[in-house]
Amino acid sequence: MAEVWNWQLNRTMQYHYDEVRPRRQAAAVFDTNKCIGCQTCTMACKTTWTSGHGQEYMLWNNVETKPWGSYPLAWDVKALQLLGPQHWDGDTYTGDTIFEAAPEDKRALGYAPSDIEFAYPNRGEDEVNVSITREKYHLKMPHDMWFFYLPRVCNHCTYPACLESCSRQSIYKRPEDGVVLVDQDRCRGYRVCYEACPYKKIFYNHTTKVAEKCVFCYPALEQGIQPRCMRSCIGKIRSFGYVSTPDEARDDNPIDFLVHVRKVALPLYPQFGLEPNVYYIPPIHVDSDPFLTMLFGPGARRAIDTYVAAMEGDDRELLAALLLAVSSDRIMTRFSVDDDMVSGYTDDGERAVHMPIRVPNVERSPFDPDLNVYRLNTT
Amino acid sequence: MSITHDPTSGTPDRTLVSRRRLLGAGAAGAGAVALGACADDGPNLPAEGEIVSVRTPSVPRRDPASPLWDDAPPTVVVLEGQITAPPYRREPVVADISVRSLHDRDDVALLVEWDDPRPDAATVANDGFRDACAVLLGDPAAGEELRFMGTQQHPVTLLQWKADWQHDVEHGVRTIDDEYPDRSVDAYPPIVTDDPLGITPADYVTADATPWLPGLHVGNLLSAPTRTRCVEKMIAYGFGTTTTTDTQDADGWGRHDGGRWAVVVTKPLAAHDAGELHLRPRGSATCAFAVWSGADGDAGGRKSVSTRTYRLVLREAHGPSPFPS
Ligand code: SF4
Ligand code: SF4
Repeated sequence: MAEVWNWQLNRTMQYHYDEVRPRRQAAAVFDTNKCIGCQTCTMACKTTWTSGHGQEYMLWNNVETKPWGSYPLAWDVKALQLLGPQHWDGDTYTGDTIFEAAPEDKRALGYAPSDIEFAYPNRGEDEVNVSITREKYHLKMPHDMWFFYLPRVCNHCTYPACLESCSRQSIYKRPEDGVVLVDQDRCRGYRVCYEACPYKKIFYNHTTKVAEKCVFCYPALEQGIQPRCMRSCIGKIRSFGYVSTPDEARDDNPIDFLVHVRKVALPLYPQFGLEPNVYYIPPIHVDSDPFLTMLFGPGARRAIDTYVAAMEGDDRELLAALLLAVSSDRIMTRFSVDDDMVSGYTDDGERAVHMPIRVPNVERSPFDPDLNVYRLNTT
Repeated sequence: MSITHDPTSGTPDRTLVSRRRLLGAGAAGAGAVALGACADDGPNLPAEGEIVSVRTPSVPRRDPASPLWDDAPPTVVVLEGQITAPPYRREPVVADISVRSLHDRDDVALLVEWDDPRPDAATVANDGFRDACAVLLGDPAAGEELRFMGTQQHPVTLLQWKADWQHDVEHGVRTIDDEYPDRSVDAYPPIVTDDPLGITPADYVTADATPWLPGLHVGNLLSAPTRTRCVEKMIAYGFGTTTTTDTQDADGWGRHDGGRWAVVVTKPLAAHDAGELHLRPRGSATCAFAVWSGADGDAGGRKSVSTRTYRLVLREAHGPSPFPS
């Protein structure tokens, strides 16, 4: 066991391998407030990567409705139940991670879902947090009924439980971008990774009998192109890029800016201890702080306040960084704000986008003299 | 499920298996008595820590019920859990196994028998695990490190028989079709057909579409679209280094009868891959054993392993059999 630094927990923790961070870490930010649950990302990934024999049940990308939805069934409730009640002291996690709570015969605390648990990927879809009664109801703000969509892919964790648990070392983390991959030749289908990953984002192929998982579309990354599920995002909720550790965070890196500078994007279930690298902007209309803290850690309320203030016009830079989300197919690793315009730049320094932070309101005359036609409002 | 006798090698004989069990129990004691009295050309009784491989005209590679096995004295090998590398198996599922060995001019064969009330040969479902057994062979100078998958100096030749592979040999490779035949599928791109449910992994090979089955595409034997052998040959140089060899010339066959597995595992005496053990008539090897119980979720490190290494001694002369038929 090694002692490694987990900045999301603000403390060191036990892990089987030494702390070896990739040269840079691929990461994404998902804005839950913008997700419309259309599942276009799910289908984009499905048709790209998992349409083969034996992959039928696999959704490397899925979108579940919280609080009740889950794929596989109750994955997070089960993982939390195994771990038991745990605590934060301010920004420091004082509870046990799944590595520290591992039983003696395993490297991580986990469970192996059965096939049936994957059979209802949309269970709980659009179900609100409380039961609807026959009593009269009137809309209030903030809503006392809520749900939100939680899109999920593999977190390409800094401390992956899947990788750690594999006694064959068939799973590896690429030094160039931190993408976690399964060596399809070395894997022998033991499924300890499947048991260990608390996010249940590694799957067993029923036909090839080996493990498979989200590859973060690495062939696209290698060309500076965003992953498929991100590119296809209709709600433009997803930002893809590279996240630094807090001490090396750059103000002009859009992901660093959202995660470290404004701290609006938070890891999912950081208490598991994997330092996951998909970050979420928490849903602003969820009025249960304990629930938000359980999902996103102690920074959830602060993140919501910062986000809401930006939406009300108090933070031009934050609006600018959020606007970059899938505004181009190309990966933008730097951004700048001039006047009311935001620019996003690729690794090569090329400007990929240049756009207004607020779309200007243009009033047009009902008649177009150039074309000699009346503009009709067809809606 | 049906794990049957190989039809090419004679009629299965239940009485032989059970008779051997009785003899096996007696032979453990006999072996202890014969300690030290077992010269190279003496009777084929194993000394303490020995497994005697008896010379035979032709090893019954796929016949665990062959009467030839009666010529080979059994050694009872005690198993324990695996607690060296997680995931552990703290307590063994199988307390002991019986091991016999025969060899001919070309091959060495081991017959491994153990109690297992239920055969498990389906690895399609997420919670489907196989029964299996492995013989670990190393050079005579290898010590206890053999049990821990060897070292750089003393690599291990692993011969693993897998119940699901045997099922594949007998009935065709088992896939999702066997577990979920009524599933709904629109298409399996890029194969164009009116009957996607009729598609098999072999069709991906024919259609030059193996990238859609990644394990098959990279040549992982677990993902093979067809199968003719149920024993895999591997080499290991330590924990986590087990690697499938380029040459797959190990063979064998299992039979589940009366709540007990009887499994033959064979390999050519000669080595054909780097690091592989090369055996010679009158030679010897260090060996160890492992057994997996599918019903108990065994896989990888979750296995029952022999508590010690054994010396496999190849006897050239066919001494008087203590077990006349
Ligand atoms: S989310 Fe799960 S599968 Fe992905 S890297 Fe982390 S532990 Fe592995
Ligand atoms: S990053 Fe690529 S592989 Fe991963 S979920 Fe998205 S589309 Fe699928």
